[in-house]
This record gives sequence, C-alpha cells and structure tokens, in this order.
Amino acid sequence: MRKISIYLIIFSLSIALFYMPNTAKAEEAVTICAVHPFTGRFAFAGIHGADAMEDAINMANEEGGINGKKIQYYWADGEYKNDVGIAAFKRLYAQYKPQCMWGQSTGMTKALAPEIKDRYKVLYSAYTFAEIAANPEENPLLFLPGPTYVEQFGVVLKYIAKEKPGANIAFFYSDTEFGREPIPAGREICKKLGLNLVAEEISKVGGVDISTQILDMKRKKVDYCIFQGFVTAPIQTVIKQAKDYGLTCKFMGTFWSTEKHLLDQLGPMAGEYMGVTAYSYYYQDEFPMIKKIREWTKKNRPKYADYRSQAYMQVFMGTTLFIESLRRADNTGSITGDSMAKALASIKDFDVGGLMPPVTMKNNSIPVGRIVRGNAKTLKFDPISDWIYLD
Amino acid sequence: MRCGDFKENYKKDEEIFQSYFVKFWLALFFIFLLIFPFIADHYVLYMANMVGFAVIGAVGLNLLTGFTGQISLGHAAFIGVGAYASAILTTRFGLSFWLSLPLAGVVSAFAGVIIGIPSLRVKGLYLCIATLAAQFIFEFIFVHWESLTNGITGIHIPSPRLGRIEFSTEKEFYWITLFFVVVGVGYARNLVRSKMGRAFVAIRDRDLAAQIIGINLFRYKLSAFAISSFYAGIAGALWVTFLKVVTPDHFPFILSIQYLAMIIVGGLGSILGSIFGAVFMTLIPEILNYLSEIVKLYAPGKEEIFVPMKEVIFGLLIVLFLIFEPLGLAEIWNRVKNFFKLWPFSY
Repeated sequence: MRKISIYLIIFSLSIALFYMPNTAKAEEAVTICAVHPFTGRFAFAGIHGADAMEDAINMANEEGGINGKKIQYYWADGEYKNDVGIAAFKRLYAQYKPQCMWGQSTGMTKALAPEIKDRYKVLYSAYTFAEIAANPEENPLLFLPGPTYVEQFGVVLKYIAKEKPGANIAFFYSDTEFGREPIPAGREICKKLGLNLVAEEISKVGGVDISTQILDMKRKKVDYCIFQGFVTAPIQTVIKQAKDYGLTCKFMGTFWSTEKHLLDQLGPMAGEYMGVTAYSYYYQDEFPMIKKIREWTKKNRPKYADYRSQAYMQVFMGTTLFIESLRRADNTGSITGDSMAKALASIKDFDVGGLMPPVTMKNNSIPVGRIVRGNAKTLKFDPISDWIYLD
Repeated sequence: MRCGDFKENYKKDEEIFQSYFVKFWLALFFIFLLIFPFIADHYVLYMANMVGFAVIGAVGLNLLTGFTGQISLGHAAFIGVGAYASAILTTRFGLSFWLSLPLAGVVSAFAGVIIGIPSLRVKGLYLCIATLAAQFIFEFIFVHWESLTNGITGIHIPSPRLGRIEFSTEKEFYWITLFFVVVGVGYARNLVRSKMGRAFVAIRDRDLAAQIIGINLFRYKLSAFAISSFYAGIAGALWVTFLKVVTPDHFPFILSIQYLAMIIVGGLGSILGSIFGAVFMTLIPEILNYLSEIVKLYAPGKEEIFVPMKEVIFGLLIVLFLIFEPLGLAEIWNRVKNFFKLWPFSY
C-alpha cells in the first residue's frame, strides 16, 4: 500500500509540475527565447552564449528596451541533441510566443527552417555558420551574425593568396556535417584565387592517429593547412606531430578553432597557429563595446571577469541584431515576421562598437573576418590582418 | 462488488482483455487519445508524436531482444534505413508517403535479415558486436553514399497528403502516428500469443532445447530480426516525415542504447513494458528540462549547477527504478493494477 501510494504521489506531482502555470510571464513585452547547448559536447559555447544573450538584453532594457517595451528572455537547454533542441524550441514557443529565437546547432536549424518560414515566423539565428541560414530567398527569417563557413574559408584563402600567391593548400577536415560543409566551395575558391589545393585530409573529431595525413601533406609539400570542423583535437596533435615529421607548413583554422582554449593546449607552439575570426576578442578593450562588456561582466558576473569566449561574442552579436531588427520593425508599426525580415535586410553600416566592423547584412550573413595568430607568450590571439571583406 | 476474476473456459483465458474493467478503462483511454489533439497545444502534441515513434521502435526491439533474446545494438541503424528508404522513395521516385512507408519497413526488414544472419552462429555479447558493426556500417553509408542519401546535407521530405488533406502540423500527424501505434502494438500483442511468438520465447529461454523440440532456429531468429527491423523502419519513416528532414545525425549509436534502455526500464519481454519504457525515456528528460527551467526562474545565476543536474537525476531515476523493480515499469504497473483490482476489499 505504502509503495503504491508513493508511486501515485510521484506521478501526480510530476503531472502537476508539468502543467504549473508560469508566473514570471508578463504582458506587453517583446520576447526573445533561446535553446542553448548548456550541457553536452557543445556546452563550452552554450554556457557563455546563455549569459551573452541575457547580458545584451539587460543592457538594452537599461537603455529603454524596444522603443520603451521591455525585452523578456527565456531559454532552455537543448543538450546539443536535435530532438531535445526541437522539443525545447516548441515548448518555448508554446509558452512564450517569442518574436525571436536562437537555436543550438546546424542540425536544429535545418530541421526547423521550413516551419520557421511557414508557421512560426520568428527571426532566427543559431550557434552555426551554415549556408542554410544565409539564403534570404529561401529562408528570409534565418540569419547569421557573422560569415558563413564558406565565407570564412574565403577570408582565409584570400589572405593566403595575398601572402603567398600560388601556395599549396591542404584542407584538413572532420568527417561531420560541420567539417564537410565549406569544402566543395573551398575547392572553387582555390581555383579562382590561383591556389593549388594539393591535399584533402579527413580525420575524426578528437582523432589521435593522424600520422598518415601528416606524411601525405609532407609528400605534397603543403604550404598552408586549413582545419575545418574541429574545436580542439586533433589540431594540437597535428601541429605537434608535424614538427616531429619535419612538415614546415602553416596551420590555420576557422571560427570555432580560434578560441583561447586551443592556445592553452598548444602552449609554446601557440605561435604556429593562425585562424579567421569574426569578432573582436574580450581582451581587445580598445573597442567601446568590448569595454562595455568587460565592465558589465566585472560587475554582474565576476566569475568570468578574466575571459569571455568568442561564442559569447557570437551570441552577443546575434542578440544585438535581434534587438536592432525588433526596433526597426517596431518603428514601422508592427513586429511581424515580414517586418522583422525586412528590418534585418535593411541593416547597413550599423555601428556595433568595434565588436565587428560596421555591419551590413548581405544575404543574411556578414561576410567579413580577420586573420589572427596565436601568441605563445600571452596565449592570446593577436590580429595580423585588417578586417577582410568578401565581394 | 467484484472480488475475483474467474475463467470458465479456455476461450476466456486466451482473451487479450480479460475483464469488463480492462475493456472499460481501455475504451476510456482510447476516447482520451481521440480527444487529446483537441485539448493539447502543439508542443504537447509534438511530444505525443515523439512518444508514438518511440513506442513503435521499442515494441520492435522488445520483440527481438525481450522476446527472442537476441541483443541488438544496431536498432538506430534500422530506424535510419527505414527513414532513408522512405525519404528516397518519396523524393526521388515520387511515391506517395502511404506507399513508401510500408516499403520503408520492408527495406529495413531486409537489412535486418542480412544483419541477423550472424545470430545463427553467435549469441550474447558476440551478437552484440555483430549488430554494433551494422550500426557503424549504415552510419557510414548514410554519410558517404551521397548520390543516394545526399550525404551530410540530408533530404527534405514533403508532408504526407491524403487527397486534399495535408498532414503537416503536429495535430494532423498525430492521427497517422496514433494509427500506426495502435496497429503496431495490436499486432505485436497478438504475435506473442501465436505459434511464432511462443517460438521466440522458446529460443530466448534455451535455443538448443527449442531446436530439439522442432523449432526452426534459422527461420524464427531471422523472422525476429525482420519483424523488429520492420517496426524500426516504420518508426524511422514516420519520425523523419514528421520532422520533414533526414540527415545522418538522426541515427547515432546512442539512439540504439536509448532504445535498449527503453525496453529494459519498461520491462523486457512485455509489450506494455515497451510502451512504458518509450513514454518514460521520452517524457522524463522533457519534464526534467521543464523543471530545470522553473528552477532557473527562481534561482537566477545558479544555472550552471541546476541545469546539468537533470542528467544526474535522470540517470538516478533509471538506476532507482531498476533497483526497486528489476522487471521494469510493466511490473510496477501490474502491482498497482493488482492492488486496485480488489480494492477496497482485498483479502
């Protein structure tokens, strides 16, 4: 009897809690919701991203919100799993009817794109730089707060073509969606810029046995090896082993691998790694927006006062574009999917205080980046080029 | 007042629903399922659909693992085969969803038979590894046979149509899911009472003894693989048609483990257990997510502690359930049912 009663109580409590009304919901406000990968293998970005969105929204609310309307922010953990992320998206939408949504991955973006266009009509961006979100004709409500992976490859290859015309290039990518996405376009860009794509090496994320790939690159006399689809491993292993095998090429990466934790792992070899980034770094406090973020973090999140990742900057930038689009849409009289899409497309030379150069949306992405190099002494990335724009 | 359940002939004893009480509650449950889409919002209906797909997949795996004793770590691969078969048949060959769905089940069943062949020579952990290999082989095919599967980009799938009716929303798709759940569960429930079902159980309990009494191991083991994979294929086809997109990311190895967990938590060798397991494994993480969001509202700034805790709680719940009831949720249900059967005059 006691056991049965306990089961019944647990069951009833679960049902009651599930349907508990949300008392924090207020009326007459603009709402932004997000699904962050707060746990799971992308948590390194999600933890910072969740804070970034809250910080950007709180800053905007302090400055009057959306023409006087308060911005509300709700988020859920998507665990970096597609089904959990989609469920969280639908749950948040059902509860809060937001105007803008942030997603956790490329997979989630792909799965939701048709419904966002036809049904939800929310302005949407995510922890991705995939092409699907940079196609306003197909998906007018999806955007990227930075360059696509293809555009990042474009920036890197443009830099190489200028530094060493006709250089031998190797693409070193993971056997994942993230790794493979810019490769076909990368081949075309190499041809266009007169670079010799001599090798394409594929490895598992976190792979350690990469001697075959290194020897192949050595044999093909590679000048520049470009990583795609990795966050850290096997990049550090490749760079360390390359030295042992006498490979003398330069190593470069794209957005997710131009993060401080990679330099921490590379240690004294940090100076041998370069990459493309879309945003200024937390320590570049010569820029007013970075200065503002630093002061805010010091005051409100002292635990992170020393460093905020590039994922933080990405989400902060995305939220800034959400807020600007909402403001512009509100100025037209109503915030709807159509008005937000038009507002987003109208963003031109928008000053973001040095977080990026003045922003102009082009096909719902921002095709600009800058090349940075690791500094073995400070273990930070130093810019070695100006902002490189793509045509 | 009812005080017992007496059967007077074999026909009564063989009935699936053995008393008026069961029939009454089941009828009530069906009425609830029919009015459910009219009272639930689209998120709840999304979850209901997800539970439905999990139920079909879990029933299939339970037929293979719970009833026939053949452990499979490749269930996600069979779900994937069905999903891709349906997507390819619909988009490349222009077949309607209603035709591509059973064909997806057949293609998946065929894949299941091929992978099931080693079960004739190996069992237990060795079979586990053989089916694990299937998981990785099919994952590789989904990614690399680009001309067929579109590689990592995946395939966008149109919503099913029936005349002028389009099944594109959660509410509309709910009817399709409900239909296949009822048919799938009903078939499985009857199958386990048939000659084939009893042969499955005999093989599970002692395959050598089963062979001695005349059960054709070759036929029945492969039949179990075929039926299980058919269910998986149908679940996969329904799932990706509901999501409107299929990519290789949908079928990771961990999905196979989740399905195994579903039937273990629910109850091995029990159709009802498969349903409970699917509901548990789909809804509990979602309820925990929701609870963590409530905690977040009342304890701002403590997300880093509370949010990851849900994983711990979920793991703990599974462990506790298995410690307190190793036979799974189906057994808990049986005990609750038995308690109320004679309540309040049990003796």
